[in-house]
Amino acid sequence: MKLFAAIDVGSYEIGMKIFELSRKNGVKELDYIRHRIELGTDSYNTGKISYERMDELCSVLKGFKEIMNSYHVDSFRAFGTSAIRETDNTKVILDQIKLRTGITVLPLSNSEQRFLDIKSVALKSRNFHSIIESGTALIDIGGGSTQVSIFDSSKLITTVNLMLGKLRLRRSLSELEPASYSYEELLSEIIENEIHSFKKMYLKKLSIKNIIVIDDHLPYILHKLSGDGMYDAAVQGESDERSVTAEQFVKFIDRLRQMSGEQISREIGIPMESASLLIPSAYIVKHLIKAMEAEKIFVPGVALSDGIAYDYAEKNRIIRSDHDFSRDIITSVENISTRYRGGQNMGDILSKSALAVFDGMKKYHGLDARGRLILEIASRLRDVGRFVSLSTPGPSAYSIIMGTEIIGLSHVEREMVAVIVSSSYPKDISYEDVMESGFDEKNYLTVVKLTAILRLASGMVRSYKRRFNGVKALVKEKELIITVDTDNNIALERGLFFEKTGLFEEVFGLKPVLRKKA
Amino acid sequence: MKTSDKKKTGGIDYRSPEYYINRELSWMKFDERVLEEARDKSLPLMERVKMLGITASNLDEFFMVRVASLKDMVHAGYNKRDIAGMTPKEQLSELSTVTHEFTDLQYVTWRRSLLPLLKEKGIRIISRHEELSAKEGAYLDKYFEEEIFPVLTPMAVDSSRPFPLVRNKTLNIGAIMTPLDSANLLSREREKDGEKKPDETDFALVQVPDVLPRLIPLPSDLGSDSKSERTFILLEEVIERNLSRLFLNYRIECAHPFRIMRNADLAIDEDEAEDLLKEIEKQVKRRQWGEVIRLEVEEGIEPALLHILIEELNVGEQDIYRINGPLDLAFLSKIASLPGYDDLKIPGWTPRQPKYMVKDEDIFTQIRKGDILLQHPYESFEPVVDFIRTAADDKDTLAIKMTLYRVSGNSPIIAALARAAENGKQVMVLVELKARFDEEHNINWARTLEKAGCHVIYGLVGLKTHSKIALVVRREEEGIRRYVHLGTGNYNDTTARFYTDMGLLTCSEAIGEDATAVFNMLSGYSEPVAWNKLSVAPLWLKDRFIYLIGREEMHAKAGREARIVAKMNSLCDPDIIEALYRASAAGVKIDLIIRGICSLKTGIPGISENITVRSIVGFFLEHSRIFYFLNGGNEEYYLGSADWMPRNLDRRVEIVFPVEREELRADLRHFLSLELSDTIKAHVLTPEGNYEKPDRRGKKAVNSQKELCKEARENARRRQQVLTDRVFIPEMSPAEEEN
Repeated sequence: MKLFAAIDVGSYEIGMKIFELSRKNGVKELDYIRHRIELGTDSYNTGKISYERMDELCSVLKGFKEIMNSYHVDSFRAFGTSAIRETDNTKVILDQIKLRTGITVLPLSNSEQRFLDIKSVALKSRNFHSIIESGTALIDIGGGSTQVSIFDSSKLITTVNLMLGKLRLRRSLSELEPASYSYEELLSEIIENEIHSFKKMYLKKLSIKNIIVIDDHLPYILHKLSGDGMYDAAVQGESDERSVTAEQFVKFIDRLRQMSGEQISREIGIPMESASLLIPSAYIVKHLIKAMEAEKIFVPGVALSDGIAYDYAEKNRIIRSDHDFSRDIITSVENISTRYRGGQNMGDILSKSALAVFDGMKKYHGLDARGRLILEIASRLRDVGRFVSLSTPGPSAYSIIMGTEIIGLSHVEREMVAVIVSSSYPKDISYEDVMESGFDEKNYLTVVKLTAILRLASGMVRSYKRRFNGVKALVKEKELIITVDTDNNIALERGLFFEKTGLFEEVFGLKPVLRKKA
Repeated sequence: MKTSDKKKTGGIDYRSPEYYINRELSWMKFDERVLEEARDKSLPLMERVKMLGITASNLDEFFMVRVASLKDMVHAGYNKRDIAGMTPKEQLSELSTVTHEFTDLQYVTWRRSLLPLLKEKGIRIISRHEELSAKEGAYLDKYFEEEIFPVLTPMAVDSSRPFPLVRNKTLNIGAIMTPLDSANLLSREREKDGEKKPDETDFALVQVPDVLPRLIPLPSDLGSDSKSERTFILLEEVIERNLSRLFLNYRIECAHPFRIMRNADLAIDEDEAEDLLKEIEKQVKRRQWGEVIRLEVEEGIEPALLHILIEELNVGEQDIYRINGPLDLAFLSKIASLPGYDDLKIPGWTPRQPKYMVKDEDIFTQIRKGDILLQHPYESFEPVVDFIRTAADDKDTLAIKMTLYRVSGNSPIIAALARAAENGKQVMVLVELKARFDEEHNINWARTLEKAGCHVIYGLVGLKTHSKIALVVRREEEGIRRYVHLGTGNYNDTTARFYTDMGLLTCSEAIGEDATAVFNMLSGYSEPVAWNKLSVAPLWLKDRFIYLIGREEMHAKAGREARIVAKMNSLCDPDIIEALYRASAAGVKIDLIIRGICSLKTGIPGISENITVRSIVGFFLEHSRIFYFLNGGNEEYYLGSADWMPRNLDRRVEIVFPVEREELRADLRHFLSLELSDTIKAHVLTPEGNYEKPDRRGKKAVNSQKELCKEARENARRRQQVLTDRVFIPEMSPAEEEN
């Protein structure tokens, strides 16, 4: 049994959950401590977190540390989200936090954060798998933006970030002069505007029945709907599994519309400042319900801290998940590739080949499963640059990848993917350029090794017409023997293979040899 | 819809002032019930004396808290009517009449009843020093010189010396005196004019020192008729007798004791107070200077002396109480507790071993076996102390968190908490500095805890933390386990011997989570989205009660049996009363056991005919809060720290918790039914607003407190018997086991 603390330095709140992690009982939450502090107000308004807020932040983190001590926690992770990420003085703030509290807060990219949120819902909610069998949107509302991830037939279809954060919305509206419009009308207009393109791009062919909401404030509504005698029938399920029909949810939101902030605070039993953030959340969901014509709303009441704990427990092999999260990442990568007309077949063959090489020479590259995932992503995105330029696909791919969020990846990992892809075109970028990308030594070596593998794999697949039944790679003496099981003629690949092996030989000291299975 | 929004339904205005009793007048009704105990001839004499003493301190508190508050309202020009339709001015006027009558009755009881009875039983209280024999006088003069004189600070007032500060609640002797060189002249002029000249007299004042015992015993060989008789005199009489020795160059024209009460209502502007602790210290000091709201003087006081006091202390006529007897009857508690006289006292009670606990077995093991209900003072408070004490020395305990409102002088709980911190446990204590009249005491031990390494939180801005909760977090083999104690009364081992309170010891996971959330909230972190089991004021509790009452109303309307039984100290929250009226009107049978203030009226046709209110005033102070709802047969029992008063529901942190273990619910059921059948110590509220003893005709005489003592004794005896009887338990044969 391990005690673990997960700290989430968010846009309007710092939260810490203490968990008991054990193989027997899985992830068990023991304590949830939250402190309201609107770091996002500073970040989004001025681009900087003020010293006053930083003082407050440090004092709260010191308090958290005391609580961790009181539980004798074995390990902890602390992450900062958009307010930390989007401030100009991120490094200064994180350094000060470290110096003053001894706590290392790591900034999470939006895609990493959202991925952890998905993880928390998938692992904590017992019904997640049955819910996502039919069209389901997971709406993750943050202070700065909202992530919408669409699942269908138990698979993640796509994930999109909308610039609809509750703090951001509240701030935008506070800047507007009072006019003939009501607050709610303005809010609705902004939200409608933002989801217009999303609706056109993603919702045309999909039927979304369920909405799962991740939000800190909406659970209050579900609680109210279930706790108040008037609404007993409205809410189904227990605690984390609670759901309400879309109709009842919207009806309640419309009821709140008639109330002042103070009345809402009293009605739902929350502080005034929480009421001011609950309304933007409620309206985002209301408009997405309308756009998706969803029927049922689930509010599992998870927080980022849950995702942090599940992720930690999974990585430390304390729990095992039935859900394949890497598959989610790959599916979303396939969708990016499709958006930029990257061929699915080409991506499949290239990734199969690259992974076969990777798996066949583990001792020589020394990389882990995460490296393998990065290689697979890079393989699947290798062709996206051609959407912009056939002659210089490398730099185009770099720009596309850097401008696209890849769920589950950190900023650094995304850049690694972008550099691997662009460097895999030997004519465009020499591998020495990688050195200038500013990666630390470990990541630099990963990029170089994976670039070498991807270049090699790209040499094995010269035509989208190829069909590979299997690829195997094996190191024999100083050679990497790659055996391809295919009915096609691979004379073209064999002939031009040497063009792509230079970097590989330089990095690994192995000579690649391409063979067709007899 | 808030209850207040639906005031008028079905043509009934449930908020009409005629349906409510003014809370201050109801408070005085409680004091009258206590006074009735002092007048109850069936009670042992010393119990009656004690009760009369209690009426005196109760009245003091009433003045300092409520009258002071009303005075503040009047000064601020606040004319809003209360739920009973009275303005603060009207309330003050009515209260003046009531408190004067009450005081008169107190002293009639003292002079005509208790004083002669004490004399009859061999306890002679000399009321006036003029009654002393020569021998007694000589003894006391010596006592004065040796013991009293050194601590006195006589203060004369003249043109160069301003009127001194007369401290709150102190007893003083005021005197008019004449300088000896003009004494002869004065007496000549008096004879001529029939009055004295103010310029030639001085006012002097001596505070009766509170460091000396008020009740001075006289040796038995000083001239009393009986050797077994004990004689006492009050300190102020001895000082008065010797006053001339304090003012050597004066002749004492007259001297009389007086006592004042100042406005002691502590109104801290918490939002502005940068350091709450310092602010409270400041307020405590400032309290001595509050406006004088009551002046007690001896009946027959020299008019000139009274005139000076009225002028200097700025007192109105309605605030003057002319007392025919010794001022401040609080000294009666000393008489009541004189050693001996056992035949004149109710035998003392020793709390028994709790029904669900085994002595000498690890407390955590016992809690793991099932929730434990503690009924104090029938059952010992020791397990609660033991809970903290064990945790303090337990290697598996990680943290102890606790709220403290009022603790005893030498609290073993404080000592255990300090030790826990020294043992490296995380100790968090919320000390409520705003506990009225205990602020100074609380600051002191809060500092002691801080020095020991505890994390002390000095209350919350704008809210009093009145909840009674203690949490022990342990790291056990199976994981983290939380043990919680929740109570209806303070963590005070002294008052737990005479306040009736209840407590629950549990390691329920749901309650443990809630308890953790409570302490996070009290530490300044955000409140949780939802509570598993606890209902917490000020945000959620009132709505919860209104919901529970409303649910009974719905059951009644649906034709189901509906019932509420609630026991508390006071009921004056208008929203709750309105909900109760509605429920009663719908047919819910409501029985309320309310010791003190009750603003609800019974017997209003169509509104409160289904409501009964009774108050139990007995040997122990009724203090527990118990709430029962029939809920269509799925009965719910709750215990808690909150009364149904606006201050508890809107301005305090309070916790109400369910009792779910069936055996414990059965105990509560029995407890409530016993209190409802009390015919000896109960008073029933009549539709006219009076409290009367229940009609005992054809009913068994039931003294619920006595019955509960009997049961606790019986339970403990039975448990002891089981333990002693079953020391040697033979192994059964396998065949027997199968059967």
